[in-house]
Amino acid sequence: MIKGFSRTWRAMLPWPRPRGGTRYSACHFCDTLHEFAPLEEDMAARCTRCGAVIYQNRPASLARATAFSLAALLLMALGHVFPFLTMDAAAMRRELTLAGAATALIDENAPILGLSVILFTMVTPVVLAGGMIYVCLPLMFGRAAPGAEFTAKWMSRSEPWNMVEVFLLGVIVSLLKLAKVAEVGFGIGFWSFAGVMLCMAGAVAGIDRDELWDRLEVARS
Amino acid sequence: MSGHFVKAADRGLAACHSCGKVSPVKLEDCPRCGSRLHLRKPASIEGTVALMLAAAALYIPSHILPVLRTTELGVVIDNTIVGGMLTFWQSGAYPIALVIFAASILIPLLKIAALSWLCLAATGKMHPSPEKLGRVYWITELLGRWSMIDIFVVGILVSVLQLGNYVTVKPGPGALAFAGVVVLTMLAAMRFEPRLLWDRLDEDAEAPATTHESSPS
Ligand SMILES: [Zn+2]
Ligand SMILES: [Zn+2]
Repeated sequence: MIKGFSRTWRAMLPWPRPRGGTRYSACHFCDTLHEFAPLEEDMAARCTRCGAVIYQNRPASLARATAFSLAALLLMALGHVFPFLTMDAAAMRRELTLAGAATALIDENAPILGLSVILFTMVTPVVLAGGMIYVCLPLMFGRAAPGAEFTAKWMSRSEPWNMVEVFLLGVIVSLLKLAKVAEVGFGIGFWSFAGVMLCMAGAVAGIDRDELWDRLEVARS
Repeated sequence: MSGHFVKAADRGLAACHSCGKVSPVKLEDCPRCGSRLHLRKPASIEGTVALMLAAAALYIPSHILPVLRTTELGVVIDNTIVGGMLTFWQSGAYPIALVIFAASILIPLLKIAALSWLCLAATGKMHPSPEKLGRVYWITELLGRWSMIDIFVVGILVSVLQLGNYVTVKPGPGALAFAGVVVLTMLAAMRFEPRLLWDRLDEDAEAPATTHESSPS
C-alpha cells in the first residue's frame, strides 16, 4: 500500500477509536461513570443520571470545524478593516473600527478596559478559530500538528471568554444612544462580526471535544 | 455511590478537565494532554466564595461611580449605569432599558445569589432537588458574559464622541469596577465544582433520614 495511505484513510472514518481496552467516560456534571459506546452520526450520548450531554458525534466534524473557522477568520479580517459604526454629526463623519474603540479606551486612561476589549473580542476569537484550523486541518490527513495538544487545551480554556455576540449587542445599544445626537448607521464591520458570531458557533458545535482528542490520540499513535 | 449509579471517583478514576479522558487519579497527570488530574477541583468552594465576595464588593462602587464622564462646553456630567438606563426608559426606549437593566443590574446579582445557593447546597446546608440545581448552574454559566455589554458601550461611546473641543467623553472609574464584577463572577462560576452537589446528595441518601442529631464524621 502507498505509504501514509492507511493513516489518511483512518482520518476520514467517522470518529476512530483509540486503541486500548474498555474505555470510560464520566459525566462532567455529576461524575457518573459510563462505559464508552460508539454513537451513530448526529447522535448525542446523555448521562443516565442527570441527563447532561456527555459527548456527541457530529457528521463531517473535521471538515465542518475547519470550514467554519476559516470563514470566521476571513470575516474577522473584513470586520477589522471596515468600520462597524458610522456617524454623521455637525458636518463631521466618524467611522469606528474595533481596534479604534480599543485604542481610544487605552488613550483615555483606561488601559485595562481597552485591553479587555482587545482580549474578549479580538484575541479569543482568533485563538479559537485559528487553533481549530491548526488542529483540525492536519487531522483531516491523519496527522497531528506539532503542539496540537497544547493548542487544543488553550482553545477550550479561551472558549468562555469569546464575547463577539455581547459586543454586537453593545454596538446596537450604542447606536440607539447615539441616534439622539447624530445620524448613525451600521457599517460593513458590524455585519462581518455578525457573520463571525455565527461561524464561531458553527465551528465550536462542529466537533465534540472528546472526538477531537480521540482523533489526536489516534493520529499520534 | 447511590443505587446503581457508579461515580468515577468511587473507582479512583478522574475525568480530565481539559480533554475529558478518564484515567486513574494516581497517575497525577493526564496521559493524553498532560493536565493535572483531580477527583474534584481543589478548594472549589473556598475559591468560589472568595471570588464571589470580591465581585459583590465591587458591585456597589460599580453602580455608584460614573461609567462615563461627559464634558460639554466646560460642564461636566457624570453618567452611571442606572442613570443611562433611566434615560432610555424616560425617552420611551423600553426594550433597550430592559436589556441594560437585565445585563448590568439583574444578572450580576442573580449570579451571586445563584452561586451562593449552589455553595450552600454543596456544603450540605440546603437540600434542593438535583433538577433545580442543574438548571441554576446552567443559567449562571450561560448568562455571565452578557453583563460585559456596558463595557463595550462605554468603549464605543468614548471613541466615537470625540467631537472636536466642545464635547469630550471619558471612561469613569465605575466602568473598571463593573468589568471587575463581570470577570470575577465568571471566574467564580468556573471555579465551582458541580460534582460536589451530587456527592452531597449521595451522602444524604446513605445517611438515615430520621436522625436529626449531628452525624459522627
Ligand atoms: Zn450526569
Ligand atoms: Zn487530559
